[in-house]
Amino acid sequence: MDFAIEDSVEQSAFREEVRAWLKENIPEGTEYPVDPGDLTLEQYQLRRELGRRLGAQGWLYPNMPTKYGGGDLPVEKVVILNEEVGRAGFSLPPYYDAGGRMAAPTILVWGSEEHKGRFLPEICKGKVRTWQLLTEPGAGSDLAGIKMTATRDGDAYVVNGQKIYVGSSHGAEQSWTVVVTDPDGERHKNLSWLMIPMDLPGITVVPLNLLTAGGEGGSGCGHKNTVFFDDVRVPAENLVGGENNGWKVATTHLEMEHGGAGRLGDRRIIQEFIDYAKSEQHGYSLLDSEEAREALVDLHIESEVTRLFALRNYWMAHTGQPRSYEGSQYSLRRKLSGLDIAEKMLEIAGPYALTNDATYGPLNGALELYGREAITALHPGATTDIQRVIMSRRIGIGRQDREKAGALR
Amino acid sequence: MDLSLTETQQLIQDSTRDFVRNDYTKEVLLDLDEMPEPLTKELWTKVSQLGWMGMAIPEKYGGTGNSLTDVAVLYEELGRGPVPGPSFSSGVLGALTLLNTASPAHKEAWLPEVASGERILALAVTEKRYGWSPGHIEMTAKQDGGDYVLTGTKLFVHDAASATDLLVLAKTESGLSMLRVDANIPGVSIRVLPGFLSGVTEVTFDNVKVPGEDLIGTEGAAWASFDAALRSAIPVLCAYKVGACQALFELSVAYSRERTQFGQPIGKFQRVQDHIIHIVNYLDAARWTTYEALWKLDTGQDAASSVHMAKVLASDGYLRACDFTHEVHAGIGVMREYGLTLHTKMSRSLYHCLGAPKYHRKRMEGALGLTSLR
Repeated sequence: MDFAIEDSVEQSAFREEVRAWLKENIPEGTEYPVDPGDLTLEQYQLRRELGRRLGAQGWLYPNMPTKYGGGDLPVEKVVILNEEVGRAGFSLPPYYDAGGRMAAPTILVWGSEEHKGRFLPEICKGKVRTWQLLTEPGAGSDLAGIKMTATRDGDAYVVNGQKIYVGSSHGAEQSWTVVVTDPDGERHKNLSWLMIPMDLPGITVVPLNLLTAGGEGGSGCGHKNTVFFDDVRVPAENLVGGENNGWKVATTHLEMEHGGAGRLGDRRIIQEFIDYAKSEQHGYSLLDSEEAREALVDLHIESEVTRLFALRNYWMAHTGQPRSYEGSQYSLRRKLSGLDIAEKMLEIAGPYALTNDATYGPLNGALELYGREAITALHPGATTDIQRVIMSRRIGIGRQDREKAGALR
Repeated sequence: MDLSLTETQQLIQDSTRDFVRNDYTKEVLLDLDEMPEPLTKELWTKVSQLGWMGMAIPEKYGGTGNSLTDVAVLYEELGRGPVPGPSFSSGVLGALTLLNTASPAHKEAWLPEVASGERILALAVTEKRYGWSPGHIEMTAKQDGGDYVLTGTKLFVHDAASATDLLVLAKTESGLSMLRVDANIPGVSIRVLPGFLSGVTEVTFDNVKVPGEDLIGTEGAAWASFDAALRSAIPVLCAYKVGACQALFELSVAYSRERTQFGQPIGKFQRVQDHIIHIVNYLDAARWTTYEALWKLDTGQDAASSVHMAKVLASDGYLRACDFTHEVHAGIGVMREYGLTLHTKMSRSLYHCLGAPKYHRKRMEGALGLTSLR
């Protein structure tokens, strides 16, 4: 076994190349607000610029095929790229874009050649940002129970309904969604997967005021929204994977959303918090307390196991290993260990952990935010209960027929 | 990055799994469990001939010089049994201790016989005030001319009843020293402890004269090199527990399908599913921390923190995986002939061996640089 990410001369050279490139290409004035909810329009636009520059290199979505604007890089180089972008204070992509992370691989699996040629390059090059619109007020865990309809009318589908807990600040050029195309059809066989340009008439985006802006991603999505569709006419050729086949198509991005593709990049907050605890604060050191030292060890263990699950999944997905329950296992772990780590931080740092006050708030307020994010992160991409249900089906607990993992590329 | 097994490791896994399936059947394991020392001559000869004892020993000392990860793949398969006996104590812990502490002459004299299985080692470290740090060792080896005299008790010593040689840590004038003692000489008495444990003994030394030539390494300087040997041996023991958890997981999934209550397989109930999800989560946490620690050791990296973490997760994981497997199985799980309790007993027996989770958490504080500034 080889857990090393950097292990050859060629890869070291690539790391140097990436580092130099980032230094040269991160637009001046690009900053990372502690709370992603504070991302200004100007900051967002600088990030988009960085995205386009990465896209021109094939580095925005480095594991997508070059044919469609990706980099087709081997897993080791993708890891390096993620690490270096992380070191520079961003994630890859440097802004919220469910399009490249989940829609593009889905189109790669289920789309026609025409779909691939039309949708993928602009996603991979960073020309468009894409939201994922799945949850509805009446359909959270029971995603297949959505109500938003798309009725065929000539060369278009007419879409009506409402989505919630979606998107980010500062809008998007397009979105994808799952809609009901056969209201009388059998469950799971009545849905379709649709790409929707967000500038179509009849779309209304309303920001939500949530405990924290984002979810589990580190990409700083800003605030979530609810989106209303009133008689929105979507070109029929935007339906991907065949009418009433949308649930199958969705299994691909759900597999990724449920952690099947793993995730790279360090959780900087953990190391920053350990460093905070090691240094003297307000005239004393947290490490003087035995309980604090013990809790720090536990916190480290929690975060290491999560890192290893993510690394395993990443390796499995990108080397085509057979996958089963691992995606949801990682997602479940990330959610629960996030909560556990936040609790440990509260225990160690005391009420300091709860303030983002300029004088007393640890890590410029990042700790206070982490405490809230750990709660918000419990629901995106399916609750912990749903992750357990998926694990059970994949493992085949109580059943001979084991549910298959969603197709990745 | 490549998290798959090498061809050699695949071969080790396949052949060991077959061997365990055929030679360590449940009936054999249940019989061994009733013996004071869980070992038969035939089995020991067989596994020695398979080369198990020499895997961690370099070729120049009669072994095959495999990587620790190779060795761990073997022990993961043994854990599935769970195969009892002194293989780990002798072929891994004992061999690595000699490799780390002994003089070239001692290595040449003893290691080939360890590799062939003729010599069986057991480590006598812990005492009545139980613990795995050097401060817990109180037994003294009195200097007597060029020789030493041992008096006292070593407690919770694993596999001493099967051993030919004991490697004893004791205090001498200049610090902690390691002595090789014949297990079968007068003055050494070994008593297998009864109860919810397996292969664990009390070893009493009554004025046992140890010739000076059986001092291993430098007098007074045994701890640091023994600690380094422990660091390499611990993740192999962890791999054994990983294999055990894997077996418990498979056992529970199978039972969740075949056992019906309320007219359906019990695995249809989400509360039963949750037990099994706990098991697989403990299993995988132990698995990946263990193999990452092994990889660090095999590639010469600083592995201290990883090794301590693996031991925390493997010891806790095996114990808890047993508990949850019992929750899934209820009554049948505690029937001796079902076999689950072999694991339950082993998970308890090995919980403290080479240091309990609490001790390794403490050690992690140091490895992570979490020391009080005061």
